[in-house]
Amino acid sequence: MKNSYQPLPLVAVLAMLGTAAAAQPGTFPRNGVYDQRPGVFAFTHATLFTDYKTKISDATLLIRDGKVVAAGPAGAVKIPAGAVVQDVRGKFIYPGFVDVYTSYGVPEIPAAPRQGRRAGPQFDSQKTGAYSWNQAIHPEVNAAEQFKINNDQATAYRALGFGAVLTQQADGIMRGTAALVSLNTNRREQEVMLLERAASGLSFDKGSSTQDYPGSLMGSIALLRQTYLDAQWNQRSPGRERNLSLQALSQQKALPAIFQVSDKLSALRADKLGDEAGQQYIIKGRGDEYQRLDDLKKTGAAFVLPLNFPDAYDVADVYDALRIPLEDLKHWELAPANAARLSQAGVPFVLTTADLKDKKKFLPNLRKAGQYGLSETAALQALTDTPARLLRAQDRIGALKPGMEANFIVCSAHLLADDNVLLDNWVQGERYQLSTVPADYRGVYSLNIGSQPEGRFLIQGKPEAPELKIVPTAGDTLRGNLTVTSDLATVVFGPKSKKKPEAGAAPAAEGSVRLSGYYTQEGRVFQGDGLLADGTPVKWRAARLEEATRAAKRDSAKVVPPPVLGNVIFPFAAYGRAAVPSQQPTLIKNATVWTSEAAGKLENTDVLLENGKITKIGKNLSLPKGGRSIDGTGKHLAPGIIDEHSHLAISGGVNEGTQAVTSEVRIGDVVDNEDVGIYRDLAGGVVAAQLLHGSANPIGGQSALVKMRWGATPEDMKIGEAPGFIKFALGENVKQSNWGELNVLRFPQTRMGTEQVFVDAFTRAKEYEQEWKAWNKLGKGKQKKGEAPRRDLELEALVEILNRQRFITCHSYVQSEINMLLNVADRLGFKVNTFTHILEGYKVADKMKAHGANASTFSDWWAYKNEVKDAIPYNAAIMTRAGLNVAINSDDAEMSRRLNQEAAKTVKYGGLTEEEALRLVTINPAKMLHLDARMGSIKEGKDADVVLWSDNPLSIYAHPEYTFVDGREMFSLAADAALRADMQKERQRLVQAMLTAKQGGAPTQAAPGKARGLWHCDTIGEEKELAK
Amino acid sequence: MRILLTLALVSTACATLAQVPMPTPPQSKPVLITGATLHVGNGTVVPNAAVAFDKGRLTYAGPAAGFTADKGGYETIDATGQQLYPGLILPNTTLGLTEVESIRATVDEEEVGMLNPNVRALIAYNTDSDILPTVRINGVLLAQPTPRGGLLAGQSSVVQLDAWNWQDAVVRADDGQHLTWPAMVFRNNPNEDAAALDKRQKARETQLRDLEQLFGEANAYRQLPAGRKENLRLASLAGIFDGSKTLYLHADYGKEIIEAVRFAKRLGAQKVAVVGARDAWMVLDFLKQNDVSVVVSRIHALPRRDADDYDQPYKLPAQLQAAGVRFCLDYQGDQETAGSRNLAFIAGTAVNFGLTKEQALTAVTLTPAQIMGVDKDYGTLETGKSATLVLSKGDLLDMRTNAVSRAFIDGRSISLDSKQTYLEKKFRSKYGQ
Repeated sequence: MKNSYQPLPLVAVLAMLGTAAAAQPGTFPRNGVYDQRPGVFAFTHATLFTDYKTKISDATLLIRDGKVVAAGPAGAVKIPAGAVVQDVRGKFIYPGFVDVYTSYGVPEIPAAPRQGRRAGPQFDSQKTGAYSWNQAIHPEVNAAEQFKINNDQATAYRALGFGAVLTQQADGIMRGTAALVSLNTNRREQEVMLLERAASGLSFDKGSSTQDYPGSLMGSIALLRQTYLDAQWNQRSPGRERNLSLQALSQQKALPAIFQVSDKLSALRADKLGDEAGQQYIIKGRGDEYQRLDDLKKTGAAFVLPLNFPDAYDVADVYDALRIPLEDLKHWELAPANAARLSQAGVPFVLTTADLKDKKKFLPNLRKAGQYGLSETAALQALTDTPARLLRAQDRIGALKPGMEANFIVCSAHLLADDNVLLDNWVQGERYQLSTVPADYRGVYSLNIGSQPEGRFLIQGKPEAPELKIVPTAGDTLRGNLTVTSDLATVVFGPKSKKKPEAGAAPAAEGSVRLSGYYTQEGRVFQGDGLLADGTPVKWRAARLEEATRAAKRDSAKVVPPPVLGNVIFPFAAYGRAAVPSQQPTLIKNATVWTSEAAGKLENTDVLLENGKITKIGKNLSLPKGGRSIDGTGKHLAPGIIDEHSHLAISGGVNEGTQAVTSEVRIGDVVDNEDVGIYRDLAGGVVAAQLLHGSANPIGGQSALVKMRWGATPEDMKIGEAPGFIKFALGENVKQSNWGELNVLRFPQTRMGTEQVFVDAFTRAKEYEQEWKAWNKLGKGKQKKGEAPRRDLELEALVEILNRQRFITCHSYVQSEINMLLNVADRLGFKVNTFTHILEGYKVADKMKAHGANASTFSDWWAYKNEVKDAIPYNAAIMTRAGLNVAINSDDAEMSRRLNQEAAKTVKYGGLTEEEALRLVTINPAKMLHLDARMGSIKEGKDADVVLWSDNPLSIYAHPEYTFVDGREMFSLAADAALRADMQKERQRLVQAMLTAKQGGAPTQAAPGKARGLWHCDTIGEEKELAK
Repeated sequence: MRILLTLALVSTACATLAQVPMPTPPQSKPVLITGATLHVGNGTVVPNAAVAFDKGRLTYAGPAAGFTADKGGYETIDATGQQLYPGLILPNTTLGLTEVESIRATVDEEEVGMLNPNVRALIAYNTDSDILPTVRINGVLLAQPTPRGGLLAGQSSVVQLDAWNWQDAVVRADDGQHLTWPAMVFRNNPNEDAAALDKRQKARETQLRDLEQLFGEANAYRQLPAGRKENLRLASLAGIFDGSKTLYLHADYGKEIIEAVRFAKRLGAQKVAVVGARDAWMVLDFLKQNDVSVVVSRIHALPRRDADDYDQPYKLPAQLQAAGVRFCLDYQGDQETAGSRNLAFIAGTAVNFGLTKEQALTAVTLTPAQIMGVDKDYGTLETGKSATLVLSKGDLLDMRTNAVSRAFIDGRSISLDSKQTYLEKKFRSKYGQ
């Protein structure tokens, strides 16, 4: 979280000097005579911005040889002899804009098609050369080596006011370096390149890489994390691997790094990764940053913001419009306010043309951002000074100071003015004309045509589209047509009636009058010759009496009132709230309290929640000041449900099943706090869950233990100081037996191979630990001479397991494999904390008991695949009776919200008591997650995670009336009703606004589909697979 | 000693219990159940009831006081404190068609091609499925194995769940045709462009034209004189035009429901029902006004849109009830074959979210029988109807209390054992539990 503005390093200064020299005639052979011109221009009487905040009226800008020589008040700049002087009175000069996120002049690389499990595996990189093992890691790519001036692209950027851009090959995870180039197309690549290595580029998207790994967002994050470590190792021990990718990465570590992300959550993820790697990334976002503004501000990152505001949706149909998620409706309204909000919050940002399908929308959208509160100064800063500083090129671009590149634009009006026209874009002292100011002829003129009595000649409308009215002395006002080009005027006007003469009637006496002439600025007079309708030649003259009326002027400078905008809600999704509920002291009175403790079930009991804890349990408790009480008479208060096995709230894939061992990936990196499943779980009484990696490989990824803190950030959803967990898996998913005929190559393909994966992995982990222990024992001197082992995050997670710092939750079905893992664990000295699914646990309960494993199972699932043919609903009861700690889990977003019912089935199947049954989803999962000291039961001092049920919580007729998490009312029937009403109102308001926009001619788009997946154990990539 | 005894019992039981239990022979002796609370299935509850049946038919079902016949000839079951229900009926199911979902060899629910009105689920219905006994023990005694997929998936039948083979199981053969209404075309994801949308829209229009053509030709074909050239597809559709077969329209979205029903009626279908109907709340008036019955697919489901009420699926039955639409409940969805034993609890959830218990019971007994056209014999416990009934120690619709003690199909007392109860006993005895 360090400051992203950094002083210019010496390296960069030297690089600048180098390129400055190259801007001279240099090394190139010539055809024909030399055409070196003095290139001295003076712009006088300008309104000049020497930088984004310094405005000088009546200023002079002097440039020579593509550089600024002087810029200041008229009196302070001496114009040398030989300068070409341009009077730009009334015009505005701004420093040329800089876009830091382009692929200007660099070949585009199409993304590889995503094929999931339908394609065969590709384990290794297909790139030739001594590069990274991973095809998506290519820091060795240098945009400067691929760059070729592209006239069309440069013209398009220049038309928007840009003078320089950063260009990179935006492909892959580590993308290589980007070059800063000016948009001059009259010179050579060597001359327009300002900095050949100005920044590095990164993303979580593997782009064109066809290699399997990483197959998930968490895999991308893990790959980045490991690659940074590998680069360090490679630098320290270069003899171990000649790896050009790692070398390149080490060399670019000091460069500004621009990280492209897909949304605000991934912005948080990128910044967190950067903190670990010692990098403060500049984050290229999606334009949704306002949705998590406070948290993004804390990152300390500067943001690159696109200005692609979504079109309104087609909301004409009542029912079809329901398909549009609330967040998309709201984003339509709020997207134009994004930049303004970052600016007001003091978050540094730059603006980019990236993501705009039609780049011509950039300036209109910039003005729109202005209407939504972005000040002109902030806009200018984001287009000039900030990007220059981010690229450490503030001494060359982004302002107009002596010695800097002569990159500037000449405008007809101030930057965000509606009628501002970009006239010229000067790049490195060369002029690119964009457009000309339309002369303003508007006004009231006296009109004399031949010998006719004097009339009036009114020119109204906009300067670029004047409207003409002729007011004769007698008779109706006529509309005419006026075109003026280079002061040459053509006028046509005719009789008022547009009706065609009736058939048979005599033709109208009058036809159209045609006048031609010219305008003289000095006298403000049009004059010339013309022909009347009957062909009589006439002289005509129109002399200006007064300027355009005030009304006409007001029309052309209409001020749009700032729009009224809806709230930002947390999370930014359906059922989000403007603020997270408070921890108001709450007394639940006279309920039947299921403690899940030795105390059992307490009738007519009060429970007090304060500061997130259960502080008192008893009878007739008094309500503390500021508290509220809830009548629990006839209702049942139970501990909040803990789902030991959930795949909710995960972004970008639940499996990194591309390799047999992926203990380096972490669900904690990809928690999605906006999954409506969280809210639905709360409505089902679920307060916490283990978010697990899937079961596609024997050693999967690390879990995240979260509470259902709806509205909190992903980080804040995580349970503080929760122990680490990891997913293991056995059986059919691991051996890919239901994955089709193409997936028969990844080891293991049998249960036999699966055992070997575990033995091998833990053997390596032990060796790894020994290696490090030995190294750490060495004295400093010996360490200096020696080579440290390579840090391997995959093995470190396994070492944590060996040291009881990380706990296994193992997906398992049949007894043979359960016995196998118990056996391997005993042999290699680790514990299997939990067998999850464990549908044949009833067959090996004694062995599990001996090992000390917990069991987390389904109530009654079976027969969905071969390995669950012997699953029985009596499993939980038999295991419980055998002395195991047993939980019932969901592995399913729908069943998760009915876990109380699933627990109740163990009363029916197997005869557990009701209290035992409720423990299966409360204290028992808390125990197996090592959270029972603070969660899972109703006990004084424990977290206030409780549910008030309408009925016996094991009954199908029970539903939560209140769900508290940390003493916050995260769900209640009343609050739910209020949220529904609010949402309905907000939706209606936005729909009406979209209909209005459509009537006003705004483009619309069809309702989008929702891309959120429902993950299960064996969901691969983004596929929606449903088998368990 | 006790363990040894149990082991001995288990080992002798193994030979029989490891298999699907043997179907029970026809009722040979009159049975009288006394003292139970009778839930007739039509909303009526009779405390302290007597229910008598002979040769598979109910001879009495009413207050105990009203049963005046001589009890001497009856096998009497004292069910005091228990609840008595009609056997539950599971519509629109893959029961008997699928054994293990992930093993293709065991799945017979979807034929290749789009138009298969001539294929019949009945002949694939496997009476020896290990799953059937596990479904019966929660009270489901009748089911409607239904083909899936394509546009016209084929024909369903109604079967009872204790039989030697499919001929033996059949209650009503080929009761209906199943039309999967092509989904309306919407953007699948924000990246889908207008051209791709248009392509899918055109494909849908083609499907609808093909269907219309087929229905028109089928309606004409059935009027051809004898000696016509046989066409299995056209012939199999005749029943929907003469009212002998129901046309089940599988559609979820409100506008699709309207579209499908109007299509079917326009082309001459006499009896239609909508299946799925997850968004039926959008078109309640339409359903009522057009007298369309609805088979509501599993309500233990997630809302279809993020902003939908969290309980929208749960409360749909109550919404249909309030609107006066006839409906029943099914279990279609993920893992439906094995999961269908939870049908009673689906009804229980409907109670939690607005129905009365008897209304919910009706939605898994009488109304499915009516919709499938078997209500003359099944769906309620009334004199003259089949003695297909379930006795539970507690409320059948709540898993907390559901405990089936006896079940009868057509008067035959069926086994409540299964592969799963066998494995339970086997391993409980291993641990001496």
